[in-house]
Amino acid sequence: MPVHEPVFSLKNTHFRFPDDQENILKDLTFDIFPGERAVISGPSGCGKSTLLYLLNRLYPLNCDGILSGSIRLFGKRAEDYAPGEINHRVATVFQDPDSQFCMPTVEAELAFTLENLHVPFKEMESRITDVLSLTGLTPLRHAVIQSLSGGMKQRVATACALIMKPEVLLLDEPISHLDPLTAKQFIAWLDGLQKQFGLTIVAVEHRLDLWESFFGRDIQLDADGHILADQRFAPRASVKFPKRKTALQTDRSLQVSGLCTSVNGKSLLHPLSFSLQRGEVTVVAGPNGSGKSTLLKTLCGIYKSSGGTVESDGIGYVPQSPEYLFLTQRIKDEIAYSGSSSPKEIQDLMERLRLTDIQNAHPFAVSHGQKRRVAIAAMLADKRQVLLMDEPTSGQDAAALQALAQLIAERANEGISFLIVTHDMEFAAAVADFVLLIKDGSLTGKFVCEELWANEELLASHHLLAPKGVKLRAESFA
Amino acid sequence: MRNLLHDMNPSVKFIAVALSMMTIAFFFNPWTPLIFWMGVLLFQVFLSRLNWKVWALFMLPFTIGAFGYLWTTLLFGTETGGQIIWSFAGLDITAEQLETALSLSFRVLAFSTLSLMFAFTTDPVKFIMSLMQQLKLSPKLAYGIMVGYQFLPVMKDEFTQIQQAQRLRGAVEEKNALKRLLDMRRVLIPMLAGAVRKAERSAFAMEARGFTGEARTDYYQPIRIGRIDFWMSALFVLLLAASCLGGIWLS
Amino acid sequence: MLKSWKLKEVVLMSLFAIVFGIVYLLFVHLSNIWAGIIGPIAYEWLFGIWFIVSIICMNIIRKPGAAVLSESMAAAIEVLLGNAVGPRLLLSGIVQGLGAEAAFAVTGYKHFNLAVFMLAGAGSAVFSFVYGYFISGYAALDPSFVALMFTLRVLSGMIIAGIGGKYISDGLLATGSLRGYAIARAEKGDAGA
Ligand SMILES: Nc1ncnc2c1ncn2[C@@H]1O[C@H](COP(=O)(O)OP(=O)(O)OP(=O)(O)O)[C@@H](O)[C@H]1O
Ligand SMILES: Nc1ncnc2c1ncn2[C@@H]1O[C@H](COP(=O)(O)OP(=O)(O)OP(=O)(O)O)[C@@H](O)[C@H]1O
Ligand SMILES: [Mg+2]
Ligand SMILES: [Mg+2]
Repeated sequence: MPVHEPVFSLKNTHFRFPDDQENILKDLTFDIFPGERAVISGPSGCGKSTLLYLLNRLYPLNCDGILSGSIRLFGKRAEDYAPGEINHRVATVFQDPDSQFCMPTVEAELAFTLENLHVPFKEMESRITDVLSLTGLTPLRHAVIQSLSGGMKQRVATACALIMKPEVLLLDEPISHLDPLTAKQFIAWLDGLQKQFGLTIVAVEHRLDLWESFFGRDIQLDADGHILADQRFAPRASVKFPKRKTALQTDRSLQVSGLCTSVNGKSLLHPLSFSLQRGEVTVVAGPNGSGKSTLLKTLCGIYKSSGGTVESDGIGYVPQSPEYLFLTQRIKDEIAYSGSSSPKEIQDLMERLRLTDIQNAHPFAVSHGQKRRVAIAAMLADKRQVLLMDEPTSGQDAAALQALAQLIAERANEGISFLIVTHDMEFAAAVADFVLLIKDGSLTGKFVCEELWANEELLASHHLLAPKGVKLRAESFA
Repeated sequence: MRNLLHDMNPSVKFIAVALSMMTIAFFFNPWTPLIFWMGVLLFQVFLSRLNWKVWALFMLPFTIGAFGYLWTTLLFGTETGGQIIWSFAGLDITAEQLETALSLSFRVLAFSTLSLMFAFTTDPVKFIMSLMQQLKLSPKLAYGIMVGYQFLPVMKDEFTQIQQAQRLRGAVEEKNALKRLLDMRRVLIPMLAGAVRKAERSAFAMEARGFTGEARTDYYQPIRIGRIDFWMSALFVLLLAASCLGGIWLS
Repeated sequence: MLKSWKLKEVVLMSLFAIVFGIVYLLFVHLSNIWAGIIGPIAYEWLFGIWFIVSIICMNIIRKPGAAVLSESMAAAIEVLLGNAVGPRLLLSGIVQGLGAEAAFAVTGYKHFNLAVFMLAGAGSAVFSFVYGYFISGYAALDPSFVALMFTLRVLSGMIIAGIGGKYISDGLLATGSLRGYAIARAEKGDAGA
């Protein structure tokens, strides 16, 4: 094999879904060579995930999509591979943590992967042990995957990709569900791995600031699905948010006392109490698996509480996996479902969250980031007094984050209270009045933002990093 | 001793159970199924660890069902003529009728006990894996079932989550019991739609893990056939022979 | 046979088998109790429930084998649930599935309309009745009673499985989640023609 044969080679590739008139991806031409670290970026919904699916050959076969132009994988035409064959050399970590497992436990999932690769029995045990210790997942070896938190699932998915000892690693927003410290470790660790094995890495990512100078090449798509730029990677600054004025009112809208939860006899949430005032925006933060999603689910009644009380003026909820909410066949109907907003308000919401173009699409058949925005829009249109949001920021591009921050600010001014789970501390710093810290299922406390950013120890013990904006300001004072 | 049934190879056990049922179905005397039933009960007492409370709970509906067989067979059994042993409300019951009625009811009991024995002593995952490893079930099917099985607890949660989420969105719940039953459609369809999506993603995940559907060369947890299986099969054959011969001899 | 199947179709069958495996099991227990009161005839008019998954899956996937495989899988899932009637069900599942499959095979896997679904329901009913005749010893019952059971079962297969199966798969098609499966492609083809 000549040394410089490209791993992936696309030439004038167009792709569209069978129901669409227009191509999603247009005229893509690029080569990716062994050992490259490329990042694909572009606005949410432009076709990044779709492109990865073409590279690992899941599409077009599995969606009856229509492809023109050529895609060569390791020098061979993509259509000449059998399903699953190319995946012995190309490993993928998908975007949605809920959707990438097929076996009950972590160990079984890893073993399944090895069996697929025809790894001899003698080697299996050591490879499993190795990859678990490499990814710090040894304690979870026998854990049931479905009972893990979103972030932990993402880590398991990475372990499954690595155990294959692939030549190429495709990553679809791999850190979007990881807590900040773990995300940082993940990047460092990926860096080491790449150097050690000479992997080719192709990642899709919105939040490029966190990766610092990890990548070598930068492929940008525009909203239409053309290549906008294909260049050397230059580190990015983080997203800027205008600082919000607090809109705290005096009366309470949510009062939680002694709330606790256990699922199947396992205590997930120890008794905790707090309250929200009208117009308050509070961020919930903590390590992966600490119980943030559990708290939100208990507050809105999806998990039964095993004690304590919740008093509120009406709660709305955006889940970490937004699909649960969807009841109708069209995005437009989904957002208008509750009937609490006027057509004009709905129009406005859709425009600001960039949903107008896809308003007639089925809520399940849009991109990950779009689904999340649909859920957010539907809940905002519902106009509940208290709104719980589970990771509304993950998988969103800069424009969507800014629009979201803006929307939250406006609604808070109208007296609506927000409880937002997020791993994005820049976003938290911009919107939050307070931060609730959670660890191992217990509430550490409720902190004023500025105090928290100054308290390194507290941050570190909750796997958090102070936002860069705040850090820069602090450094300029010193 | 008490682990023998649990340790048996699931495929071998399955074949033993299926063959026994096929054989017993040829006998219409009451003794064969009765002896067989007793034998299976003894197996269960001595060769397995069992929670009898749970067992009784599952056995109850079958027992009721067996009773139903008893009296319908008495009432609707084929006319046989012969000695009338019991007359009631203008209905004559012959000895032969009683025999077939008892035979069918014992059959229900024997088959249910046998099936429960299999269900309670077999690890579902091992069963599927064994079907693939010993009986050459296609890996595509075997892992397809495994994925489904993995979603079993999730489906239960999903059911409540969909209901909760719909309530959260302001979908009203019907008060009327009948309307609520028809309303099940509103949960069943999203459940199935969810199943379609889960299927797609799991299939993607499997493919992304390099699953091509071809047979594997090595298993992480191979399931073997051992000496236990030989002896246990012999035991089943013995019981089968005893009940068949015993039945013929006694009637 | 499975070569031409996409993995996602196999997994779809399995997940449907789960949903209906649970439904089936509910009805097994329900009708067992009824059977105690009104005898084995209690099963008959409900029997169509147990055939429904094969018709729905065949309608969605439209490949030879979809009926028999899905019905067997649903039975396997019932066994896996750990508390079902066990191996006996696996056999009857296969037999029932073969019945529906036969109906689709007779029509050459070309027509998927209500009439064919009702035929498939009837097919399952006939096959499962023959099997039941042997395994449960219906031979010992009065022929006219057996005939009544048979009629009820066939009607139930045609109505509950045939019509019910169509109703459910239509409802599902309307949710738009079936794009990428044969049923959605056929729908589009019809619209285009
Ligand atoms: N199965 C599908 N059928 C039809 N259209 C689809 C399907 N999946 C995605 N789309 C559409 O294709 C476009 C690209 O989707 P894709 O998931 O690739 O976006 P993305 O760039 O990864 O976005 P995000 O950053 O939000 O994840 C979107 O406009 C979406 O609406
Ligand atoms: N259904 C369940 N059964 C058993 N354990 C569960 C269940 N759901 C959650 N857990 C456990 O509860 C803990 C908290 O989970 P949760 O999803 O609330 O975490 P999280 O804080 O939202 O994490 P992340 O940031 O990764 O989303 C985890 O250890 C998880 O394994
Ligand atoms: Mg994406
Ligand atoms: Mg979470």
